[in-house]
Amino acid sequence: MTEKITVALAGNPNVGKTSIFNAITGSKQHVGNWPGVTVERKMGKRVHNDLEMEIVDLPGTYSLTAYSLDEIIARDFIIEEKPDIVVQVVDATNLERNLYLTTQLMELGVNLIIALNMTDLSLAKGDRIDAGKMQEFLEVPVVSTIGSKGNGIEGLLEEITKEFQRPQETDNVFTYDDAIEKVSEDLESVLESDPFFIHYPSRWFSLKLLEGDENIIRKAKESDSYPGIEKILNKVDAELLEAKIADQRYKTIQTMLRQVCNINTCSLSGSDMVDRVVTNKYLGIPVFLSLMWAAFEVTFTFATPFMNMIDIFFGWLAEAVTNVISVPWLASLVGEGMIAGVGSVLIFLPNILLLFFMISLMEDSGYMARAAFIMDKLMSRIGLHGKSFIPLVMGFGCNVPAIMATRTIEDTRDRLITILITPFMSCGARLPVYVLLAGAFFGRDAGVVIFSLYALGILIAVVSAKLMRGTVLRGEDTPFIMELPSYRVPTLKGSAIHMWERGQIYLKKAGTIILIGVVGVWLLASLPAPGSNAVFASDAIYGTTQSVIGVIGQFMEPLVAPLGFDWKIAVALLFGVVAKEIVVGSMGVLYGAGENEDNLSQILAAGAMTPLAGLGLMVFTLLYAPCFACIGVIKRETGSWKWTMFQLLYGTSLAWIFAFIVFQAGSRMGLLV
Amino acid sequence: MECNYSNKEVLFAALAGVLYSLFGIFNIAEGIGVNTGLAGILFVPGDILGGICLVVIGTVFLYGLKEMRQGINAGVSFVYVGILLSLVFMAVYLLIMAGSLLDSFIVPDDYEGWSIMETFRPGIYLGLISIAGMLYWKDSFSLHEVLVFREGY
Amino acid sequence: MNEKTLDFIEPDTSVKILKVAGQKSSRKRILDMGLTPGTRVDVVRRAPLGDPVEFKLKGYNLSLRKREAETVLVEIVE
Repeated sequence: MTEKITVALAGNPNVGKTSIFNAITGSKQHVGNWPGVTVERKMGKRVHNDLEMEIVDLPGTYSLTAYSLDEIIARDFIIEEKPDIVVQVVDATNLERNLYLTTQLMELGVNLIIALNMTDLSLAKGDRIDAGKMQEFLEVPVVSTIGSKGNGIEGLLEEITKEFQRPQETDNVFTYDDAIEKVSEDLESVLESDPFFIHYPSRWFSLKLLEGDENIIRKAKESDSYPGIEKILNKVDAELLEAKIADQRYKTIQTMLRQVCNINTCSLSGSDMVDRVVTNKYLGIPVFLSLMWAAFEVTFTFATPFMNMIDIFFGWLAEAVTNVISVPWLASLVGEGMIAGVGSVLIFLPNILLLFFMISLMEDSGYMARAAFIMDKLMSRIGLHGKSFIPLVMGFGCNVPAIMATRTIEDTRDRLITILITPFMSCGARLPVYVLLAGAFFGRDAGVVIFSLYALGILIAVVSAKLMRGTVLRGEDTPFIMELPSYRVPTLKGSAIHMWERGQIYLKKAGTIILIGVVGVWLLASLPAPGSNAVFASDAIYGTTQSVIGVIGQFMEPLVAPLGFDWKIAVALLFGVVAKEIVVGSMGVLYGAGENEDNLSQILAAGAMTPLAGLGLMVFTLLYAPCFACIGVIKRETGSWKWTMFQLLYGTSLAWIFAFIVFQAGSRMGLLV
Repeated sequence: MECNYSNKEVLFAALAGVLYSLFGIFNIAEGIGVNTGLAGILFVPGDILGGICLVVIGTVFLYGLKEMRQGINAGVSFVYVGILLSLVFMAVYLLIMAGSLLDSFIVPDDYEGWSIMETFRPGIYLGLISIAGMLYWKDSFSLHEVLVFREGY
Repeated sequence: MNEKTLDFIEPDTSVKILKVAGQKSSRKRILDMGLTPGTRVDVVRRAPLGDPVEFKLKGYNLSLRKREAETVLVEIVE
């Protein structure tokens, strides 16, 4: 009969927790969300000697205070869900700071096991760590592991099994000076006499009160014993105590380290060597920009063949199915609706996977932190964080993976703002529209015009960020306190796993929305308008004035007339909400140019549209609602329809306003008519 | 205080630095329309951004040269990182070639009159120098040395 | 008086921490990361654009903006 237990994996960021998680759970893992927040939650299963373990990967945290969402999640999980075992993954090359979290886990009274990870790196570094002595000192099992190679995992599982069967009571290894201990005792006796606090380890709770933990103080206020607690707290200097407690924790850690290991302190590590170049005053930024360019080039050139394959496959599939089904409207629904819909989801996949692979390589190697370090100054000018830079740059390729990449931004407000302005980074799908219009109307100056569009997008993003920071999303500026981890050689397997996780999320969540959207548009384009006798979903009706969407377009004409657009453009723009790539194609159909873009270009230049309106259309395309894939991803990453709708309305309003200004002001000034 | 590098590193930095910078400049030149006549023989097409990247790599080497000549021990980091960077770019260009080749099979129409050598770049053959460097100094790239670099022991 | 705030310290200097002032949330975080009174910190470099600044302490590298470093009172050692 198998018993079931919960094992939580805790640890600092960058300690290889993920590779340990993967080594333990293999393919038996799934990703969800922590309740009520958009932080990712990874869970997995492993069976070992009749013991079924549910492994929960807690967010990486440096401590268990209450100032960041990640820390609150980790802490609440431990206190409320009470996992049977907590395994803390510790980076052997960075012991002192890693053990700070250990002190807090021990104060929480959990059944702790330490996985001393990256022992190969610490050995190569010349360190000597006696895991046995460490185990003696801490009175907690210490297992040496090398997560990236899967070493020590069996031992870890054994230890988990043993610990579960025979949990040990540990004495307080981490004690503080007499003054602090005395006050803590006083508090503990108050806490222990009140059943309100029965779920909390009293020592931990009292220390948190002394540290001035806001979350805990708020909880205490809810109880009847609060006056007694308050009296004791008023006698101490909270600020002083906070520093003292942190300091004494580190002192105890240092005492242990002196007995337990021999750390090789070299004045310049290999990692430092690389940083001399990478964060060099003159070379840092050029190197960074070059690597960014390289990442882009590879992704787009390498993804293109696969995207073409998918495109061709789905085109073929749609035709084949259409030929097989005899009922015309059904054939169109399945062919142009569903299959095209699925195709429009899958076509982004190579792009997303590759961009995420690049990002994983950068994160796993440690380079990402340097990128944030270098770019932070620019970002802080607009109220954001260095970590926002990479997603924004990625947006120039495709907004979809860019928005998904904002996960690395810890502060929710910063992350939200970054997500909201990413669509203004003109993505690759909009380029065909620019090329068509700029080519038709501006000839030799097309390049300059297109460049200005990109610049406009950036400008609007920057101003929007500042605006949002100042009004809707006001708040304290997040402190920039970021570790620069040692460089590591990323494993292809590890990065590939990261990449695949992102891909899955995209397929499942964003995919659903896109599919529904595409079928919806198909429906609108196929339904005969009231009063029309065209056949449902026939070629004669699809996307023409006879269909509902045509009627909608004509209905919208007055709305877009001030921008210099006609109903055909309105319809093309509507289609563009599905995917920006479709705008050109639908314009081709609507203007009767067929598949040939040069044809379309000539028709437009000959007078179907004025150059001014063309410019306005480009601006509109830059700013208005992003494609369904993007909408889907925004919803997924922000977790709210409210903000998704806000982005849509904000962007579309800006698009209208700017296109209006371009057309009206230009007309008044007699430009480009 | 012992020196952590010998004349070999200095020479390598000088050679690689000059070569990468030159080819980068040629690339940029071709990109802005100056005909250097090298387009055919040495596969230097007009590629402004790619050229800039090559110049950056060259500058990394040359900066290291400068530091080493000033006697700064840690200057040799630039040689190692320069080698790593050039290898990264070599891989990038090879992947671009592979991607284009693959694409040419999938959508042959787009590739009429195209040959794979259009995507061949100096970044690829210059990278061979770095491979040589990496093999020669492979001990420096080992895990132990990567993690520990002793200042003048 | 040899006391200065951390943001004023030039690269390639070592200091000892005297006191950490500042607001609740960033102060706590700074202390948690090991910048406790008595700790030795090396100032490694400033970012290419001048901010943030990279430090080495307790065997690892940490970066802070000048605004955060301003809250840490230190004295130069050696």
